[in-house]
Amino acid sequence: MGTTKKPSELLPGTLDLLILRALVPGEMHGYGIASRLKRVSDDVLQVGESSLYPALQRLLLNGWVKAEWGASENNRRARFYSLTAAGKKQLAAEREEFSRVIEAIQKVLNMA
Amino acid sequence: MNGSFQTLLTRAWNRLLFRWRRDRLEDELQEEISFHLAQIQSELHGAGLDQRSAWDQSRRQLGNLTLAKEECRGMWSFMGLERFVQDLRYAVRMYARTPVFTVISVVSLALGIGGNTAMFSLVNALLVRPLPYAQPEELVRITGTYPRAAVPMFRERSRAMQIAAVSIGSELNLAGQGPAIRVTGSSASPNFLSVLGASVARGRNFQAEEESPGRDNVVILSHSLWKSLFGGDPSTVGRMIRLNGVDREIVGIMPAGFSYPSTRVQLWIPMRLDSTNFVEYWGTEYMPLVARLRPGATISQAQGEVRRLVSELRGVFPFAMARDWNADSTAIPLQQDIIGNVRGKLIILLSAVGLVLLIACANVASLLLARATTRRKEMALRAALGASRGRIVRQLLTESVGLALTGAALGILVGAGGLSVFKALLPASLPGLAEAVIDWPIVAAISALALVTGLASGIAPALSAYEVNVTETIKTGSQRSTSGFWTRMRGVIIAGEVALTLVLLVSAGLMMRSLYKLSEVKPGFDPGRVLTVQISPNESLCAQRALCVALYDQLLQRSGEVAGVREAAIANSVPLDGQLPTIPVVVDGQPNTSDHPSDMLLLGAASAGYLELMRVPLLAGRYLMQSDGANSAGVAVLSAGAAQHFWPADHAIGKHIRPAGGKQWYTVVGVVGDVRHATLSKGLPDWVHGAIYLPYPQAVTEDGKLPAAMTLVAKVDTNDGRTRSELRQLAVALDPNVPVGQVHVLEEMVSGSISDFRSMMQVFLSFAGAAIVLAAVGIYGLMSYWVSQRTYEIGLRVAIGATRGQIVSMILAQGLRVSLYGVLGGILTAIALTRFLGTLLYGVAATDSLTFALVTALVLSVAVLAAAFPAWRAARIDPVKSLRAD
Repeated sequence: MGTTKKPSELLPGTLDLLILRALVPGEMHGYGIASRLKRVSDDVLQVGESSLYPALQRLLLNGWVKAEWGASENNRRARFYSLTAAGKKQLAAEREEFSRVIEAIQKVLNMA
Repeated sequence: MNGSFQTLLTRAWNRLLFRWRRDRLEDELQEEISFHLAQIQSELHGAGLDQRSAWDQSRRQLGNLTLAKEECRGMWSFMGLERFVQDLRYAVRMYARTPVFTVISVVSLALGIGGNTAMFSLVNALLVRPLPYAQPEELVRITGTYPRAAVPMFRERSRAMQIAAVSIGSELNLAGQGPAIRVTGSSASPNFLSVLGASVARGRNFQAEEESPGRDNVVILSHSLWKSLFGGDPSTVGRMIRLNGVDREIVGIMPAGFSYPSTRVQLWIPMRLDSTNFVEYWGTEYMPLVARLRPGATISQAQGEVRRLVSELRGVFPFAMARDWNADSTAIPLQQDIIGNVRGKLIILLSAVGLVLLIACANVASLLLARATTRRKEMALRAALGASRGRIVRQLLTESVGLALTGAALGILVGAGGLSVFKALLPASLPGLAEAVIDWPIVAAISALALVTGLASGIAPALSAYEVNVTETIKTGSQRSTSGFWTRMRGVIIAGEVALTLVLLVSAGLMMRSLYKLSEVKPGFDPGRVLTVQISPNESLCAQRALCVALYDQLLQRSGEVAGVREAAIANSVPLDGQLPTIPVVVDGQPNTSDHPSDMLLLGAASAGYLELMRVPLLAGRYLMQSDGANSAGVAVLSAGAAQHFWPADHAIGKHIRPAGGKQWYTVVGVVGDVRHATLSKGLPDWVHGAIYLPYPQAVTEDGKLPAAMTLVAKVDTNDGRTRSELRQLAVALDPNVPVGQVHVLEEMVSGSISDFRSMMQVFLSFAGAAIVLAAVGIYGLMSYWVSQRTYEIGLRVAIGATRGQIVSMILAQGLRVSLYGVLGGILTAIALTRFLGTLLYGVAATDSLTFALVTALVLSVAVLAAAFPAWRAARIDPVKSLRAD
């Protein structure tokens, strides 16, 4: 990940989940998603472009997000992503799944 | 599950779309990323970095961006090839880790796919490709056989068809061009080429007047005969050759690839129409008719016409004709006629081979299903590590399709072998059979079949993997399935497999019993150590009755002197030689009326001693004797069937009988046993009521023409090559210009006549064998899996005091239960299906209870055996270990 600070490695498979979650409030462009994830996680999660854009493409392919071109806040052309109905369902499912895995891992770590 | 399936579809659709819009996507991504860069720059700039270092900073990001673009591109391309290769490599590792599973799967699929490959090629060559004649759909065969007299009459009266007669071909002597050879020639009405829509390559077709006597000394050669005899010399047309002692002018040569009615026929001569020659015109050589529908005529019009023409013809016979003669004549498409009896066989073979493929699929599916459940842990782990469900499903499908494709590759090899076996099963005269090969379209079809097979056998396990419950599985670490649905599913699959196996085994069993019954058939004669050789002297040598008789007497005398020959005789036809010479007869005191037409009998023109040589039992009176010469009183020997038919309540001896249209009465002097002349399974066709044997000097017609070519029959001490070649020499010495036919061993002809049954049975047996092995593997797999699933439970049972015997019988009962369901289903299916075996069965009912019982017992014992091994393993489960292990 090409950022200056040492970011945490993301758990595999969680990036999609995070992007989906970030889009819940409304549509956003790629840069916005990256900075939002960074800000909300107190700079712990720095999502590099090299994984962000492929992830967005993946979500598009799966039909979980849709994209539209629009004008950014500084009036440049940018692509805005938003959640689809399928994406909302997927987010719910993945959240549940994720919390169960985490729980499982916690249990393992807390073993006597 | 539904939602994810939708996702799969969406993804596939989007991929297609993305691929199509690729360039635009590239541009858009480029734009999006440069926007991102600009944003970063302005952000850094805002954070107090100067322009220069901000630019550096963003430049450093560029590497990442290239990477991003790369990855997106990979995603847009349909079927992420890289991932596919990854999946494939993983699959190969899986195969290598479980060699037994892999080998079983691949071999069973290879068997199934191979059999289907061979059958596809055959069906394609025989049923799909059109006949090699112009507008083949207009060609029809008029069923039944007709005297020559029918040809001009039908030709004039038919409105819907152009009709031609073409004989199936007989052996002729060809001389005048190098050493004499025997060729197969067919006599045909001169219009036969125009009816078939064919034309000569060189020379000319027959002309209409060449069917009249004296104008008919012409011949058309097949391309292959022209090549072998004249080396393809272009000046061949116009030359003379001698056929059976008659000189004929070669007027035409057919193009390569033309054959009718079969590939055996090497030349065609015009069929002579001579209404003054009673025997020939109405006589014993009946011709098959072929016709072309006239423009606008339909097949049903043609059929109605055939019925009308046959009844009109029956009215003009010079002797009363049996009412059931050609009663069922009709017109059928020629393709259907040529394939006729083969079609049924093909369909039976095709279904059998289809069953084997189904069983193979079921097996692989059940094995994969078992593996999918034991791999739950692995799946769960992959899911936890971020593999999407689609990815897991694709991985599993890659594995099963990989298996199927490997199976297909092997299967094509198996198919090539199978094709030659099938070809041997079918008559070689079928047009197009020789061309049946495994070609690219077939290979493409097979690959598609394999793909479908792979998906079909992989879909259930892949779906079952969907049920992986990540936390549950990781938490408990157990491999016990949480859902019994897929286990039940496997039970159903295995039961189905057992059912299909039972159907195949019952079919094979019924055929075996038929074969046994056939080999038990008393043919009515003893073929042991009997040699036969066909001879046809030149017509010039047989131009007068006395000459002809003298010639054969001489032959018989010399044959008797050959070392090793015990007895010798001649006859116009021997049993199972494929000929069926018949004559209509009139019985003294039973006048023919339209209510009582003349009956057909098989004609045996034979020398004294022939019936004794063949060991045909004498039931009353006497055999034919040397003294029954050309000038003595006419005598006849009847078969028991004929005697019974004419005088059911009386003795036949002393009664009088004559050929319809003949003047001389013959007195019945003896009755002999019935002989199975046409086929072993059916002695004679329905319309032939028995046999009449006449002394050959009395059967020779005035002009010396025998009823048919004669066959020399010899009973020998030992069947050695020397005796055979001496017999041949004799026939050669008879007339140096006469080539001699093959010396046949009658015993071989007898066993050859049931080779059809035998080879079909062998194919079925091998199918059934493959099926039962597959089913056993399936049951074994299911039970082993079941035991491994219940290790804990079994351990518990042992711990609380279950004996080993109880454990074993528990597992066996489980295995038996599945098989019993299968057997029940199989019996019902078999009862519904076996009647389609039709003519392949002899002397055994299609629902023969003994066969069903034996096969059921066999299947159940195989099932018990297959379940025994896992049961034995279960019995040795150590309760302590098993309880701890889980």
